[in-house]
Order: sequence, then structure tokens, then C-alpha cells
Amino acid sequence: MTDVDPTMPAQQYTTVAGRSLWQDAWLRLRRNRAAVASALVLLLFTLAGIFGPMISPHPYDKIYPQFVRVAPSLEAYPRADTILPGLERELARARLAASGEPEISGNDVVVDFTAQRPTDERVLRYFQRSDLFGNPKIELAEDGLSGRLTLSVTRNYFLLGTDNLGRDMMTRIFIGVRMSLAIGLLASAMALVLGVSYGAVSGYLGGRVDNVMMRLVDILYSLPFIFFVILMLVFFGRSIFIIFIAIGATEWLDMARIVRGQTLSLKRQEFVQAAEALGATRRGIITRHIIPNALGPVIVFVTLLVPKAILLESLLSFLGLGVQDPLTSLGLLISEGAQNMRGASWQLVWPAATLTVILFALNFLGDGLRDSLDPKDR
Amino acid sequence: MTKETILSVRDLRVTFDTNDGPVEAVRGIDLEVRAGETIAVVGESGSGKSQATMAMMGLLAKNGQASGQALYRGQDLIGMPEKQLNRIRGARITMIFQEPMTSLDPLYRIGDQLAEPLRYHRGLSRKAARPRILELLKLVGIPDPERRIDSYPYELSGGQRQRVMIAMALANEPDILIADEPTTALDVTIQAQILDLLADLQKRLGMAVVFITHDLGIVRRFADRVYVMRSGEVVETGATERLFSAPEHPYTRMLLDAEPEGTKPPPGETARELIRADHVKVKFLIHKPWFGPAEYLTAVDDVSLTLRQGQTIGIVGESGSGKSTLGRALLRLMDCDGRIAYLGKELPRDRQVMRPKRRELQLVFQDPFGSLSPRMTVGRIITEGLLIHEPELPAKERDRRAQQALKEVGLDPAMRNRYPHEFSGGQRQRIAIARTMILKPRVIVLDEPTSALDRSVQKQIVALLRDLQAENGLSYLFISHDMAVVRAVSDYVIVMKGGKIVEQGDTAQVFDSPRESYTKALMAAALSQERFGSHSRARQS
Repeated sequence: MTDVDPTMPAQQYTTVAGRSLWQDAWLRLRRNRAAVASALVLLLFTLAGIFGPMISPHPYDKIYPQFVRVAPSLEAYPRADTILPGLERELARARLAASGEPEISGNDVVVDFTAQRPTDERVLRYFQRSDLFGNPKIELAEDGLSGRLTLSVTRNYFLLGTDNLGRDMMTRIFIGVRMSLAIGLLASAMALVLGVSYGAVSGYLGGRVDNVMMRLVDILYSLPFIFFVILMLVFFGRSIFIIFIAIGATEWLDMARIVRGQTLSLKRQEFVQAAEALGATRRGIITRHIIPNALGPVIVFVTLLVPKAILLESLLSFLGLGVQDPLTSLGLLISEGAQNMRGASWQLVWPAATLTVILFALNFLGDGLRDSLDPKDR
Repeated sequence: MTKETILSVRDLRVTFDTNDGPVEAVRGIDLEVRAGETIAVVGESGSGKSQATMAMMGLLAKNGQASGQALYRGQDLIGMPEKQLNRIRGARITMIFQEPMTSLDPLYRIGDQLAEPLRYHRGLSRKAARPRILELLKLVGIPDPERRIDSYPYELSGGQRQRVMIAMALANEPDILIADEPTTALDVTIQAQILDLLADLQKRLGMAVVFITHDLGIVRRFADRVYVMRSGEVVETGATERLFSAPEHPYTRMLLDAEPEGTKPPPGETARELIRADHVKVKFLIHKPWFGPAEYLTAVDDVSLTLRQGQTIGIVGESGSGKSTLGRALLRLMDCDGRIAYLGKELPRDRQVMRPKRRELQLVFQDPFGSLSPRMTVGRIITEGLLIHEPELPAKERDRRAQQALKEVGLDPAMRNRYPHEFSGGQRQRIAIARTMILKPRVIVLDEPTSALDRSVQKQIVALLRDLQAENGLSYLFISHDMAVVRAVSDYVIVMKGGKIVEQGDTAQVFDSPRESYTKALMAAALSQERFGSHSRARQS
């Protein structure tokens, strides 16, 4: 027993500032490398979700009909080997013939041509109509039978390929991350706030209040989720906000039960009785004693809740109740990708990899948070 | 005594791998057990006495490592493969534990649990084991064994459960019975019964008993030889008589006079009356049928008392006597009938109206491990009362008062950023006391404040309480089953049984000339009654 000697002189006492549970948790979390790395990854994805679509050269809903289902590549589209046949095709349509090798330099293609009949600038309309070329210029010889054609080619980069409609996958993944993270986090936050406070109040007050509050939860449990969502969409109209609320409003029930169970065992503990003896108000006891001590299981549950909300959202979207094209979410992207897995595996691989990394990071972060909130674990 | 040595331990070491590096719990102890003798391993919590036996039985936690030798009839138990070890433990060497409430599986009947060691070690069938089980239950003095054999553990009292544990340990007629604090969790009167039973069984069955305990009363009464352990080492060993009459090591001497001492003078007739309780009655609803009257359990039955300024009233009684309930009812933490007046005015029953008064009426709990929130720093625990009663106080001032309160109870204020689990039991109880003292209360109900602590720490806490009382003119209601502590701190004693007061009076009078037989039984059962001057119950063997 290393009890402090009560006769210890007062001069030995050093002064240290007081710290709260959250400050301590933060200090401990910073020491957990996996959690910090996960937090950084999540931050990166959040930034990508917010700013990615703004920076990206392709709007998320822009369709490139000529680039349907192109594979991911670091090279620009269209490639040289599609430019030349395309050029040839357009030249043939304009009844021109290339008299020399076309020169491709940067975004311009220059080609000398000959024509069987005198031609004029009207041939340019063939090139204007093309998906491949833009801004055609022509220099004609005096007889109109030959000349030089300068065409600009828009070079597009599709680092992660395009989807079935020819939309850039990367931008769509950014949008998907934005939607999924927003839904996952907001719905979980709603479930957290509602569930924790409801469960703690119900469990701590106990008796008849507890009975009524928990029967209400039971009634809500028995409502089918899809029915509930349809009901809400009918009443309030379709918006993304309603999806947050719908998911949050069903997920808080589990949380309320978990927290209530914790509270029931916590309120028998002596430190709660000690607070009562000190004259603490019910609110004070719930916020200072019950909730901090129930946080362990709550945080574990939240880390399970975020992926669950993300998946629920994709279910809703799949049924046509959630996010609608051209907006998208990771769940929707994955389900589209799964249908095109054979010919265009990248449509599945990239969104799936993104979701996996996000979920991994969330789990690690949740674990780290749980550990850091437990002062016994040092 | 030239009996053969059946267990000899040489240089036993136990190391635990923790996050802070290896921790040596046992640092090379030597120990000998001869056939049929009783030895005691004495030490305060954390001295490694339990870990040493756990290591012998191969029951260490996963991060524990044992080295050295423990020869049982020539076989080394340390590092023995589990299969071989299982043939010895539970049959030749058996153990009983401190907590009878949790050492029995609540889902099995008593008979089935007792059958387990018989079926495992002797290969008896369930049916064949039954007569032997009945015999064992009779042996350990369970009343009505034919019925009890089919009971579930929850149907038995704590003492009966401990008897069942003993029966289980005796099932295979062991050579050595290791009793790890077998009576600590029991009431004093039950303690005495269990210890008598053990002594009696030992005489009849002739096994060796190893007592692991911190209670010197038990040691003196039962042990032939004593090993005194401190921080993983045996500091002194010898025959009980010699050790008690002429202790050599200063630590042994410290343990021996760790008995709380001193008496408290009464506050005087003119002292102001703080609390006056008249005919307090607390009932618990047991069962409420749809029709007919509800059934109640009366926990406190018509108790009246008066607490004066500077007075300490000791309330003693066995568990279930209603003493804790009374303490709580007096602070209006529990509904009760009757009148409770504080400074002449009835204490309000309404939570809201009562709240400001709580500042002056405080409570300290028994369990310093459970009464402090594990997720709050000590500083925040201590200042919670200020947050409630003086919410306008700036954080800096609160912090300053926390430092002051910690100094007052003899702790370093720099510790206030730590969490309760980083403190020892005695330090935690100091923190719990600091939490009440910061509010400058006038009355403190102390609910078994020292029973979860080691003797030497108890003594410090008693001294602290006494100092605080003298400094601040506090009044205590000291609830305890520990007669020695009550005698040292209180000037007036109330003896409770079954919710009623059976005897009350000035401390000296109640202790020196108890009138009621129940009081006498309590005194007699308090094992270290040597300190009360009577040697009537010296060692029996």
C-alpha cells in the first residue's frame, strides 16, 4: 500500500492545471497512431468530397458520348490511335483526302488535304459536328483543291475511367463520398444525440416514465423501415434532408436501448448515489456521470452505425427513394458497378475501394476513440 | 512437530507483463507446509500473497509468469503441464476464495456443483456422487441437506455459500486447503462460525490449511506458523506465539499495532442538537398483488436518535440489520415514515427543496472503488459539490478549493488530474472524504468507511476523520460492523438488529458491560477481541 504520508510538507506540492475528460481523451487519441492516420484519411476524403467536384475538370453530370465506358488511364482521351481513324472518317465524310501524315502537336491536329472538287469553308461544318474535334480552321489553296486543315482536339483525362453514360468516374466518386459521408455522419449524429439522451433519461428516471418511453420505442421498432421512409417522403416531399432524418429516426432506437441498459446498471453504482447525496440534479447526474460512463459501448455502436447508414442509403437509392441521378452516392455507384463488372471492372473497383477505405478508417478511429475515452486504458 | 513437509516452495517469483514494463508481484519467497499444520500468509493488499498461491495452482492471469520451485510431494507444480496439474489441484490441493457470492455458478444447483470435483477426479456418476455430497453438506453444517442439495446458489445466504465452497474443496479429501481471505466478505458472527468450522474440519480430517489473510485476529487464533509478506517478499516468519509476542521486523510490528486506538470523549450536554429523528420507519415493497394488501419488508423499524454537534454515533449490526438504510433515510435519500428534524426544522421531503440542505449533510460510502466515477478526474470529482451548490464560482476558484481540500486530507494537489483507478484504496477513501469536506458540511454519515481497507490504512483514515472532526466541529454517524473501529471513533453506540435498536448507550458502557445477548455475540465474534482485554477465546487447537 503506497498511501501518502499525511504529514508530507505542503511545499512539495506542485501546481498543475486541471484537465477534463475530453482534453485527456484528446491527448490519448493523439498517441494512437492508427487512429490519427484514420482521422487524416477521413479528413482527406471529406475534403475530396467537398472540393473535389469543384476542382475536377469534368462536371459530375456531364456526359461524353464518345467516351462511354473508357478504362482508367493516365493518358489523355482521345488517344492518338483514335484521333487518326476519326480524322480519316471525318475527312472521308467531307470528301477530302489527306495528302500527308497528320501532325499532332498538343491540342492541335494539322493535316494537309486534297480535294477532287473545289471546296470552300463550308466543309468545316463536318468537323464542327464531330465529337472529337473542335474549332476547325482551314487554309485553302487558290484553286480550292488542296489546303491545310487545323483542328483542335479536346484532350480529356479520365483517371478512373467513365461510366456507362460516359461520365467521369472520379468526379462521381467525389460526389458519392460527399453524399455518403454526409448521410452516414449526419444520420449517426442524429441517432447518437437522440438515442443517448432518450436512453439515459428513460433508464435513469425508471419506473413508469421508463415504461412509457420504452413502449414508444417498441412501437417505433415495429414500423417497417421502408414504409416509414415512404410515409415521410410523401408527407415532406423528396429531399436529401428527409433521407438523413429517416435513417437517423430509425437508427436511434437501437442506441436508446443500448444506453438505457447501460444506465440501468450505472445508476446502481455508488458514484451515482454519491452524486445524489451531494445534491446533484437529475440533469447533472445524467450529463456528468451516466453519459460519460456509457460512452464505451456507444462509440463502438456509432462506428457500426455509420456504415449501416451508408448502406441503408444505398438501399433507398436503389429503390428509387433516395439520391437520384445525376446525383449519386457510393452505394449507388457500387450497385451500378456490380452490374457492369464484366466489361468495366473499374466501375465497381474504385467506388468499392473508396467505401472500404472509409469504413476501415471509421472503425479504427472508433476503436481509438473508445480506448482514449477510457481512462483505465493507458 | 516432526511431520513431513508436503509442500515446499523455493524462490518463487511472479512477474506480470504490463504496459509499463514487467512488474514483479512476488520476489522470490520460500515457504513450507507440513502435513496437518495451519500456516498463515499475512500481508496488506498488494503484498503478493494471493498471487503466490495463484502461481502454485497455475491460475495466474495470462500476462503472469512464474519461476522458481513449488514441490508438492516431490513434484514441481511450477511449469507442470495443465493435464498433470489438474490431477493435483482440485483433488490434493484445493482452494476457497474470498467472494462466496461469485464463486458459485448461479445456473447450477448446489448438488451439481459439488458433484463436479467428484465426477472429474474420481469418475463417479451423478447418482453415485449423491450420498457423498449429502455427507459433505452435513460435514460443513448446512441445515436440511436433503433439500439444499437441489437449491440454487441464490437461495443460500453468504455464510451458507461459503460452507458449500468449503464442502467442494473438501470433496476429494485434500492434503492442503488454501483459504484465500475466506471470511472477509462475511458478517462478523458468520465469520466466527466459518472459522470454527474450518478449525474443526482440520482437526477431524488432518489436512494442512494455508490461510491467506490480512486479519491478524484469525492468524492468532488458528495458525501454527505465520509468514508476513510485504511487496512480494517474506519479511518475517516464525511460530505464531513468538511472532505476536516478539515481532522482529518493523513491518510486522506496524501491522500488529495497526489496530485503531484511542477513544472519543462525548461532546457535552450543552452541545447543539443537529439531527433529531423520531420513529423512523423504512419499508420496501416486496410484492404487490393485483388484489389484497401489498407485502412490505421493514428495513428500519421505529428508530429514534439524536445527534449533537461534535458527536459521533456509532451504529453497529450485521448486514441486513438496516444500519445503512437508516443512514440514508436520515439524509432523505430514501423515503421513510416518521419525523427527521435538522436544527429543529423538519427536513423537507421534496427533492428540490432538500437540495440546498444537502450541502451540510453528507455521505461517505464503504467502497472507495465504486463511489468515485471512473471517467472523472479527481479534481472534477472533488469539485462536483461546488458545481452544484455554488455554480457561480469561477473555475479558478474551484480549482483552488480542490487543491486545498486535497491538502486537508493529506493528498498531493498535483494528483487532481489523475483518475481514481490510479490510486490505492486508502487514497481513494481520502478523495471521497475530500469530496464531502469541500462543502464544509456539519453532519457526515460514514457508511462503513474503513471496512474495504487494510488495517494500517484504516488507522490512518480513522486518524484523519478524527482530525477533521476536531478542526471543524463535525458530527459523524459512523456505520460499521467493525467493533474495534467503532470503539475508537464514537462516543455513543447504537446496536441494531433486524431494523430495530436493541441496545444503545455511551461507548464505554456498551463495550464494557453489554446488556443484550446479541451485543455480546457481536463482541465475541469480533475476532480481534484481544484488544478488548479478554483472552477468553484463545486458540482452540
